[in-house]
Amino acid sequence: MRTVNIFAQTIKSIIRDKYGLAGLVIITIIIAIGALAPYLPLPDFNSTEFHRLEPPSPRHLLGTDYLGRDLLSRVIWGARISILVGFVAAGISAIIGIILGTLAGYYGGLIDNIISRIIEIFFMIPTFFIALTLAAIYGSNIYMLMLIIGLTTWPVTARVMRGQVLITREFLYIEATRAIGASDFRIITKYVIPASIQPAIANTILQVGNAIMIEAGLSYLGLGDPNYPSWGRLIYEGQPYVDTAWWLSVIPGLFLLVTVLGINFLGDAVNRIFNPKMSQRTSL
Amino acid sequence: MSLARYLIQRIFQSIVVLFAIIVINFIIISLAPGDPIQFVAGDIAISSPEFAAYLRAKWGLDKPLYERLLLYIYNILRGDLGYSYRYSEPVINLILERLPITLLLTVTANVLAFVIGVLIGIYSARNIGKKVDTTLHVINFLLWSTPSFWLGIVLMIIFSVDLRILPATGLMNVRNPPQGMWLYLDILYHSILPVATLTLITLPLYFKITRDSMLQQASEDYVMTYRAIGFSENVIYRRYIFRNSIIPPVTMFGIHMGFAVAGAALIENVFGWPGVGRLLLDSIRTRDYPVILGVYVVIASSIIIANLIIDIIYALLDPRIRITGRR
Repeated sequence: MRTVNIFAQTIKSIIRDKYGLAGLVIITIIIAIGALAPYLPLPDFNSTEFHRLEPPSPRHLLGTDYLGRDLLSRVIWGARISILVGFVAAGISAIIGIILGTLAGYYGGLIDNIISRIIEIFFMIPTFFIALTLAAIYGSNIYMLMLIIGLTTWPVTARVMRGQVLITREFLYIEATRAIGASDFRIITKYVIPASIQPAIANTILQVGNAIMIEAGLSYLGLGDPNYPSWGRLIYEGQPYVDTAWWLSVIPGLFLLVTVLGINFLGDAVNRIFNPKMSQRTSL
Repeated sequence: MSLARYLIQRIFQSIVVLFAIIVINFIIISLAPGDPIQFVAGDIAISSPEFAAYLRAKWGLDKPLYERLLLYIYNILRGDLGYSYRYSEPVINLILERLPITLLLTVTANVLAFVIGVLIGIYSARNIGKKVDTTLHVINFLLWSTPSFWLGIVLMIIFSVDLRILPATGLMNVRNPPQGMWLYLDILYHSILPVATLTLITLPLYFKITRDSMLQQASEDYVMTYRAIGFSENVIYRRYIFRNSIIPPVTMFGIHMGFAVAGAALIENVFGWPGVGRLLLDSIRTRDYPVILGVYVVIASSIIIANLIIDIIYALLDPRIRITGRR
């Protein structure tokens, strides 16, 4: 009941926030487009039956690509791929980050030392290149990409979570539960995590946008899944034709921009709602 | 804790981190499925097992993993990053050749983004709530959400394809390379688009951190005290708020400088900019393992050194760090 209330209240606060509302609207529209893709009257996104490089026309609202595939269909199916990759990868990243961040913050000592060193190492390497290397070496089907992005982006969440747990573990009521003999597992799952998770949630929303960007970057370098038209891949495929068919690259990029913008609006708003005083740095 | 001891401890920690990075990368790459010999030698490796065996022995790929790792670390300590499979050249030479080209792009863009971002951030914070602040804030959000490579393509379409006033790709005019001073001017001319792209992409970072930091300082109690005393707003901002809020963006600048060597691989790729980022991308595609590892070592070292410099500057400036050893 309490969680439901907090959730409803958060949504209310988001809607009251200009940026939060804009973000929510944008994301809802993009998700709706992605969800409706199979039911829209569109040609198959891999069908090559049309003329090549046709400019936008009533028949093909966004024209066709170098293999004669309908760009509108590919962009709309691309929404599905990008959103899916974004959410699953951010989910993986959040789970790892929250668990490790909580363990480090709660137990301190050696465990904290080890986890913090690992986080530190991650901040000293450009993780995009690690993702790139992994994608190049271990193959780049769409599920692999989600896993790779999740595995390389969790340290930000872990650091945020650790910081918050360091504060909440000192709360009196948590000390009280310890005093009456609750197990560590119970204290962590029932009290520490619920009390500390808000900044991690705000950060995870921003991570969705980040994951979509990373996937687009990998796909733009030709390391994405060739079977699915993700937006990054569409930009990659369109780039050789910038001088004759600029829309092939520009339009998928616009969709990418607007989606990430919506997520950043929302994430930033949630951040402000959860920490009205602290101006937190979660980007980078 | 004395300053010297603090610094020695930080340096020691940095070395440990650097070695951890080397070991992790080495293991990730070495456990990869597929044989680098196949990638380099292609069909010859299949038709001639002797040649494949020769290459394998030459590159030490016939030895067990731990032995190769130890050898690699030993060689790094001697300043030897190994030989490229593809170019048959020392890795360090390949990197050093491209480093100035990358730094021209990344350092210029980082400095520009810092200066512009901080100035706009200050301006925005001083006009909080007004239309100009809202506009700048939204533009900042837009840039923050823009994929760098896409922005590069859009700028290329506008300035090279449409207006035809700027070159689309490359470092210089290859067909007709100019001489002397004109060569540098030509490189400068070619760097306008990539530098502009990278600057625009990096800007939001500095804008946001400066604006947040200014707003936070402006809400501190000491500001109210100064107002009560009767200092003018200009003096309060210039002398106190600005001085206190410039630290976070400067830190960010330092961290970003560390990443400068990593380059902006995506942007280098868009504009055919022959820098370190491109070298890394090409090596990943062709499985030139020594080059991949070598570039990572150089990148990680530069980031660690940048962090160390930031720490030392802080330790010198802030006595609290010297005493507690904590930032």
